[in-house]
Amino acid sequence: MRRGWAWAIKGYLAVVLGFLYLPIAVMMVMAFNQSSLYELPVRFDTVWFEALARNDRLLRASLNSVLLALANTVVATVLGTMAALAFARYRFRGRTLLQLLLFPPITIPWLIIGTSMLVLFFWIGIGRGLHAMLLGHVALSLPYVIVVVGARLKSFGPALEEAAATLGASPWQTFWRVSAPVMAPGVVAAALFAFAVSFDQFVISYFLAAPGVSTLPVEIYSAIRKGFTPEINAVSTIIILVSMGIMLLVARFYRFGGER
Amino acid sequence: MNLVRRRRLAVFGLTAPAYLWLALTILLPLSAMLFFSFLTQAPFGGRQAELTLGQYGAFLDKAFYRTLAWRSLELGFYVTLGCVAIGYPAALALAKYVKGRWREALFLLIVLPFWSNALVRTFSWTMVLRGDGLVDRMVQAVFPGAPSFGLLFTYPAIVVGLVHSFVPYMILTCYISLQAIDDSLIEAARSLGASAWAVFRRVVLPLSLPGLYAGVVLIFVPAIGSFMEPRILGGPAGIMLGTVIEDQFTVVFNWPLGAALSFILLAIVLAILALAYPLLRRNLQVA
Amino acid sequence: MSETKGRSRAPTIAIVAAIVVAAAVAAYVLLRPSAPGELHVLNWQGYGTDEAWAVALFEERHGVKVIHDNFNSEQEMLTKLRTSPGTYDVVLINSAFTEQAVAEGVLQPIDSAKIANFADLSPALRDSPRFNIDGKLYGVAWVWGVTSFAYNTDKIASPPDSIETLWDPQYAGRIGWRDDAVESVSLAAIATGQDMNHPADLDKVREKLRALKPQIKTFWSSEDEWNKHFTAGDFDIAVYWSGSAARSKKAFNLPVAFVIPKEGAIGWFDGLSIAKDAPNPAAAHAFIGFMVSPEFYVRWDNEVGAPASANAAANNQLPADAFNRVVLGDAAALERLQFMAPLTDEERAKYLEIWEETKTYFAQ
Repeated sequence: MRRGWAWAIKGYLAVVLGFLYLPIAVMMVMAFNQSSLYELPVRFDTVWFEALARNDRLLRASLNSVLLALANTVVATVLGTMAALAFARYRFRGRTLLQLLLFPPITIPWLIIGTSMLVLFFWIGIGRGLHAMLLGHVALSLPYVIVVVGARLKSFGPALEEAAATLGASPWQTFWRVSAPVMAPGVVAAALFAFAVSFDQFVISYFLAAPGVSTLPVEIYSAIRKGFTPEINAVSTIIILVSMGIMLLVARFYRFGGER
Repeated sequence: MNLVRRRRLAVFGLTAPAYLWLALTILLPLSAMLFFSFLTQAPFGGRQAELTLGQYGAFLDKAFYRTLAWRSLELGFYVTLGCVAIGYPAALALAKYVKGRWREALFLLIVLPFWSNALVRTFSWTMVLRGDGLVDRMVQAVFPGAPSFGLLFTYPAIVVGLVHSFVPYMILTCYISLQAIDDSLIEAARSLGASAWAVFRRVVLPLSLPGLYAGVVLIFVPAIGSFMEPRILGGPAGIMLGTVIEDQFTVVFNWPLGAALSFILLAIVLAILALAYPLLRRNLQVA
Repeated sequence: MSETKGRSRAPTIAIVAAIVVAAAVAAYVLLRPSAPGELHVLNWQGYGTDEAWAVALFEERHGVKVIHDNFNSEQEMLTKLRTSPGTYDVVLINSAFTEQAVAEGVLQPIDSAKIANFADLSPALRDSPRFNIDGKLYGVAWVWGVTSFAYNTDKIASPPDSIETLWDPQYAGRIGWRDDAVESVSLAAIATGQDMNHPADLDKVREKLRALKPQIKTFWSSEDEWNKHFTAGDFDIAVYWSGSAARSKKAFNLPVAFVIPKEGAIGWFDGLSIAKDAPNPAAAHAFIGFMVSPEFYVRWDNEVGAPASANAAANNQLPADAFNRVVLGDAAALERLQFMAPLTDEERAKYLEIWEETKTYFAQ
């Protein structure tokens, strides 16, 4: 009976993973398919990768996406970690209110946030563009960063820091030699989350993209509406392979799966 | 400087940057949007706008807006249900039954799709679901002569696409909760004679509710406002409040109506969350 | 805690440093101002002005770099013009929208003396009141075409000739439709014998649209989608544009034939305009002149397929069996066309409401 259960569980997980990866597998296969109209059967060809190398627009949009996500990661992680520290290590009035204020970016449909940012930014002259998109992406990432880092800080209570203080460490020393290493896995996880949120963010970018400067998801949507070419599959394949690589690298240094 | 002062300064210094950012990018825009929703037209390009309740009135006037709001809620419900049905068992399996390196590897694999572009994934679904697409061909291979499954451009296709996009969130949040459940609690319950089902129902499930609720919130809300998947996968069935709101900004220049519809949608979402607030407060802790 | 003991912090520091450096590079690259000697063009994607060979030719002759930006709807085009002054030079604007753009102050008058081949444009389009507003020229007629329907010649033997074909029960579930409010209202108006731009009886239009419920298999919103659906057999008859039908036939070898029904169809013409604070108006005029030249047009239609040119001389240089000469050369058919006219914001909003109501009805 035990044996049967184990197999059933493994089988179920396999099915779930299969479901998750089905469109990704299709996308990767089509990146190598010769036909531009997705005709089957598949004829292997690297023509779309070559076309990608010549597609200035798509390359520039991909670069914008990556750089924007990096900028977003830095800003959101720093601001979010600071706020998470405040929540985890101090008690103060208005704490609950501030925690509640983290809900809007997650609970309000992105469509509404995107359009209202467009309205305000245009009105007060911030306009559209990468700077506007950065403002939006950080706002969306902050709740995730605060929650993830906060969860880490919570599970490793203030005891260690208090012990360090008792042993005579200055606040600065305590931070660098006790708090930071303890927080690190949480911060890295939050940073990865922030990167993913920004990189994949479509709705906000769609409304805030400036002429000639767009991000990968916006280009893809444009392409889907106007003329999708498999170069997009090619660039997505590259991105997913690269991120797999980065994930594996980071996983070598930090554990997310839990300590138990 | 005394301790209390110093602490207050520390708290302020730590939280101010993040919240100022949120104020500029979320609160102010929403206020501007709220103001717009009471105007007759967008006050740009030489247009004169006056205050009116007409935009909200349109929602009460025209039955089809209410139909659309209901369709969007319904969609959110089905998608969340699908995610719970698929994601919770997966999280449970991963947290409690898989050990060691496998667990880490599987966890990474589940998180990885976050990094592929949502739009491309959605578009890939069209290839899988269309009549004569992957699903059809596989069915034909096993049962030649079977009728076409042609799921594309139907409501179920939208649900499949959205569930696929959001199920990792559910798996993640449930996993975090489930993984935190001390195994010794389960062992204790077993040793006291509880069956596997009873252990689940009375120990595991209640302790994992925070993760479940967090997942529901993270999924229900975006699903309601979705417009991209309904457009690409749903065909004629893809009309939702989200797509109509998008139209007001991209097809016509009717920002006030778009704003009003957005706030009505927001009000509905907040009403639902408010109803669930007692549950949420008990089970969701931010930091 | 065991995983942090004995592990060096070097990887963390390295990763953080890399990210900070990358972010700094990002800021530098993204905030750099653009170089001089550029021409910014705003158009649909893949609609002539961004043909690689044409851009290369122009760049070589005039020493300017041509940079394109695209839009997916006329509304998006207007929004981009409104919210980005001083960015664009040449803009493609459908003649039904030029008046609105002028009223909003986003266009500048064009000096027709600086446009090569201007005299060769057919007077009906060139001197149209859509482009000549308050005695000034705001748009140069470029291409024109017809929105009607196309069908699969492999599957349908006898050519249909009536717009009622779209409502014909024998084609139930085999029709493709474009998800566009104004187009849908116009087609329903034509089918009910009304003025397509300002139909008097909107209730009749509503009813006619609702009657499409059993007919439509799917919507399409781009040429590319149309081709994919057609190839997959999703529909056998679909609303389409004449220029796109030419392209599907020529470039993709699809068995497509285009119909201008006896009740009439939608005619449209696009013009090239110059944005108000265009950074490079001289190059803009030169580019427009190039676009209306036979040199550009004939090659565009021959290689890729295009809508009909407003330049009659260019049209006449096409081979005798070219789609544009055969289908659009039929004078009798052209008499039946109703051309798109400017609409007020209220009218557009009204038509959108009707169409969204119809789509909601379809979905139930």
